[in-house]
Amino acid sequence: MDSLSTSNLSAYASSDPKTAVMQQIRQEAAVQNARQLVEKLNEHCFTACIPKPGSSLSRAEETCFSACMEKYMAAWNTVSRQYVARIQREAGQGGLGGNF
Amino acid sequence: MDSFGSGASSNLDLTKLSDRDKQELQQFVVNESQKARIQQSIHSLTDICFRKCITGKISSGKLDRYEEPCMQNCVDRFIDANNIILKNLESMRTAGS
Repeated sequence: MDSLSTSNLSAYASSDPKTAVMQQIRQEAAVQNARQLVEKLNEHCFTACIPKPGSSLSRAEETCFSACMEKYMAAWNTVSRQYVARIQREAGQGGLGGNF
Repeated sequence: MDSFGSGASSNLDLTKLSDRDKQELQQFVVNESQKARIQQSIHSLTDICFRKCITGKISSGKLDRYEEPCMQNCVDRFIDANNIILKNLESMRTAGS
Protein backbone atom coordinates (compact mmCIF):
# COMPACT_ATOMS: atom_id res chain seq x y z
CA MET A 1 0.00 0.00 0.00
CA ASP A 2 2.59 2.48 1.07
CA SER A 3 4.84 2.14 -1.91
CA LEU A 4 1.82 2.31 -4.14
CA SER A 5 0.57 5.58 -2.75
CA THR A 6 3.96 7.25 -2.63
CA SER A 7 4.78 6.40 -6.20
CA ASN A 8 1.41 7.70 -7.19
CA LEU A 9 1.99 10.86 -5.22
CA SER A 10 5.32 11.72 -6.74
CA ALA A 11 3.93 11.32 -10.21
CA TYR A 12 1.54 14.16 -9.51
CA ALA A 13 3.61 16.15 -7.09
CA SER A 14 5.81 17.76 -9.67
CA SER A 15 2.87 19.16 -11.60
CA ASP A 16 0.34 20.12 -8.97
CA PRO A 17 0.40 19.33 -5.25
CA LYS A 18 -3.28 20.05 -4.82
CA THR A 19 -4.33 17.51 -7.43
CA ALA A 20 -1.86 15.04 -5.98
CA VAL A 21 -3.39 15.26 -2.53
CA MET A 22 -6.91 14.95 -3.90
CA GLN A 23 -5.92 11.97 -5.96
CA GLN A 24 -4.34 10.35 -2.95
CA ILE A 25 -7.40 10.89 -0.79
CA ARG A 26 -9.75 9.53 -3.44
CA GLN A 27 -7.62 6.49 -3.91
CA GLU A 28 -7.38 5.72 -0.24
CA ALA A 29 -11.14 6.06 0.14
CA ALA A 30 -11.66 3.63 -2.72
CA VAL A 31 -9.22 1.11 -1.28
CA GLN A 32 -10.84 1.37 2.13
CA ASN A 33 -14.26 0.85 0.60
CA ALA A 34 -13.17 -2.18 -1.39
CA ARG A 35 -11.45 -3.72 1.60
CA GLN A 36 -14.54 -3.29 3.72
CA LEU A 37 -16.71 -4.91 1.07
CA VAL A 38 -14.40 -7.89 0.63
CA GLU A 39 -14.31 -8.44 4.37
CA LYS A 40 -18.10 -8.45 4.66
CA LEU A 41 -18.55 -10.62 1.58
CA ASN A 42 -16.22 -13.18 3.01
CA GLU A 43 -17.84 -13.11 6.41
CA HIS A 44 -21.42 -13.49 5.20
CA CYS A 45 -20.83 -15.87 2.35
CA PHE A 46 -18.59 -18.11 4.37
CA THR A 47 -21.28 -18.43 6.98
CA ALA A 48 -24.00 -18.98 4.39
CA CYS A 49 -22.20 -21.28 1.99
CA ILE A 50 -19.73 -23.27 4.05
CA PRO A 51 -21.48 -24.57 7.14
CA LYS A 52 -19.09 -27.51 7.41
CA PRO A 53 -15.66 -26.88 5.87
CA GLY A 54 -14.46 -29.95 4.00
CA SER A 55 -11.02 -30.77 2.66
CA SER A 56 -11.62 -28.57 -0.39
CA LEU A 57 -14.25 -26.22 -1.80
CA SER A 58 -16.96 -28.27 -3.45
CA ARG A 59 -18.61 -27.29 -6.71
CA ALA A 60 -21.83 -26.51 -4.85
CA GLU A 61 -19.99 -24.28 -2.41
CA GLU A 62 -18.39 -22.33 -5.23
CA THR A 63 -21.75 -21.84 -6.93
CA CYS A 64 -23.22 -20.71 -3.64
CA PHE A 65 -20.35 -18.27 -3.19
CA SER A 66 -20.83 -16.53 -6.49
CA ALA A 67 -24.59 -16.27 -5.94
CA CYS A 68 -23.96 -14.98 -2.43
CA MET A 69 -21.48 -12.35 -3.60
CA GLU A 70 -23.88 -11.15 -6.24
CA LYS A 71 -26.69 -11.03 -3.72
CA TYR A 72 -24.66 -9.17 -1.14
CA MET A 73 -23.66 -6.54 -3.67
CA ALA A 74 -27.29 -6.21 -4.77
CA ALA A 75 -28.19 -5.76 -1.12
CA TRP A 76 -25.44 -3.14 -0.77
CA ASN A 77 -26.83 -1.19 -3.69
CA THR A 78 -30.37 -1.38 -2.35
CA VAL A 79 -29.22 -0.12 1.04
CA SER A 80 -27.20 2.62 -0.57
CA ARG A 81 -30.15 3.91 -2.59
CA GLN A 82 -32.55 3.69 0.33
CA TYR A 83 -30.18 5.27 2.82
CA VAL A 84 -29.07 8.13 0.60
CA ALA A 85 -32.67 8.91 -0.36
CA ARG A 86 -33.63 8.95 3.31
CA ILE A 87 -30.86 11.20 4.52
CA GLN A 88 -31.48 13.57 1.65
CA ARG A 89 -35.14 13.72 2.56
CA GLU A 90 -34.37 14.38 6.21
CA ALA A 91 -31.69 16.93 5.43
CA GLY A 92 -34.21 18.72 3.21
CA GLN A 93 -36.65 18.94 6.09
CA GLY A 94 -33.93 20.28 8.34
CA GLY A 95 -34.84 17.58 10.82
CA LEU A 96 -32.56 15.04 12.40
CA GLY A 97 -30.65 14.42 9.22
CA GLY A 98 -26.89 14.45 9.43
CA ASN A 99 -26.91 13.09 12.93
CA PHE A 100 -26.03 9.64 11.85
CA MET B 1 -4.40 18.18 9.19
CA ASP B 2 -0.96 18.78 10.59
CA SER B 3 0.25 15.21 10.63
CA PHE B 4 -1.19 14.77 7.20
CA GLY B 5 0.83 17.65 5.85
CA SER B 6 4.07 16.52 7.41
CA GLY B 7 3.50 12.94 6.32
CA ALA B 8 3.41 13.94 2.69
CA SER B 9 6.05 16.60 2.94
CA SER B 10 8.78 14.37 1.55
CA ASN B 11 7.15 14.63 -1.85
CA LEU B 12 4.84 17.53 -1.46
CA ASP B 13 5.30 21.05 -0.34
CA LEU B 14 1.89 22.10 0.81
CA THR B 15 3.19 25.39 2.13
CA LYS B 16 3.50 26.59 -1.45
CA LEU B 17 -0.21 26.24 -2.03
CA SER B 18 -2.06 29.44 -2.59
CA ASP B 19 -4.74 30.42 -0.10
CA ARG B 20 -7.38 29.60 -2.62
CA ASP B 21 -5.96 26.13 -3.20
CA LYS B 22 -5.73 25.55 0.53
CA GLN B 23 -9.33 26.47 0.95
CA GLU B 24 -10.37 24.28 -1.92
CA LEU B 25 -8.41 21.39 -0.47
CA GLN B 26 -9.95 21.87 2.94
CA GLN B 27 -13.42 21.78 1.44
CA PHE B 28 -12.47 18.69 -0.51
CA VAL B 29 -11.37 16.94 2.67
CA VAL B 30 -14.61 17.86 4.42
CA ASN B 31 -16.64 16.48 1.52
CA GLU B 32 -14.62 13.31 1.26
CA SER B 33 -14.90 12.67 4.99
CA GLN B 34 -18.62 12.98 4.79
CA LYS B 35 -18.73 10.63 1.84
CA ALA B 36 -16.58 8.15 3.73
CA ARG B 37 -18.87 8.38 6.75
CA ILE B 38 -21.94 7.72 4.65
CA GLN B 39 -20.26 4.83 2.91
CA GLN B 40 -19.31 3.39 6.28
CA SER B 41 -22.94 3.57 7.38
CA ILE B 42 -23.99 1.79 4.21
CA HIS B 43 -21.53 -0.99 4.94
CA SER B 44 -22.76 -1.50 8.46
CA LEU B 45 -26.44 -1.25 7.46
CA THR B 46 -25.91 -3.81 4.71
CA ASP B 47 -24.23 -6.05 7.25
CA ILE B 48 -27.06 -5.78 9.75
CA CYS B 49 -29.89 -6.02 7.24
CA PHE B 50 -28.39 -8.87 5.24
CA ARG B 51 -28.27 -10.86 8.46
CA LYS B 52 -31.94 -10.15 9.11
CA CYS B 53 -33.37 -10.43 5.61
CA ILE B 54 -31.40 -13.15 3.88
CA THR B 55 -32.03 -16.14 6.06
CA GLY B 56 -32.78 -18.95 3.63
CA LYS B 57 -30.49 -20.93 1.42
CA ILE B 58 -28.80 -18.75 -1.19
CA SER B 59 -29.69 -20.05 -4.61
CA SER B 60 -29.84 -16.94 -6.76
CA GLY B 61 -27.67 -13.85 -7.06
CA LYS B 62 -30.65 -11.53 -7.19
CA LEU B 63 -32.65 -10.30 -4.26
CA ASP B 64 -36.05 -12.01 -4.40
CA ARG B 65 -39.39 -10.30 -3.93
CA TYR B 66 -39.27 -10.70 -0.17
CA GLU B 67 -35.64 -9.82 0.33
CA GLU B 68 -35.64 -6.54 -1.58
CA PRO B 69 -38.47 -4.87 0.40
CA CYS B 70 -37.07 -6.37 3.59
CA MET B 71 -33.74 -4.66 2.97
CA GLN B 72 -35.50 -1.37 2.26
CA ASN B 73 -37.66 -1.59 5.36
CA CYS B 74 -34.67 -2.59 7.42
CA VAL B 75 -32.81 0.58 6.44
CA ASP B 76 -35.78 2.82 7.15
CA ARG B 77 -36.60 1.18 10.48
CA PHE B 78 -32.99 1.37 11.55
CA ILE B 79 -32.94 5.09 10.92
CA ASP B 80 -36.31 5.44 12.70
CA ALA B 81 -34.82 3.61 15.66
CA ASN B 82 -31.81 5.87 15.60
CA ASN B 83 -34.02 8.95 15.53
CA ILE B 84 -36.16 7.67 18.41
CA ILE B 85 -33.08 7.16 20.52
CA LEU B 86 -31.91 10.69 19.81
CA LYS B 87 -35.36 12.04 20.60
CA ASN B 88 -35.55 10.13 23.88
CA LEU B 89 -32.09 11.18 24.88
CA GLU B 90 -33.00 14.75 24.15
CA SER B 91 -36.11 14.59 26.33
CA MET B 92 -34.11 12.92 29.09
CA ARG B 93 -31.65 15.78 28.88
CA THR B 94 -34.32 18.46 29.09
CA ALA B 95 -36.17 16.63 31.87
CA GLY B 96 -32.98 16.29 33.86
CA SER B 97 -31.97 19.92 33.74
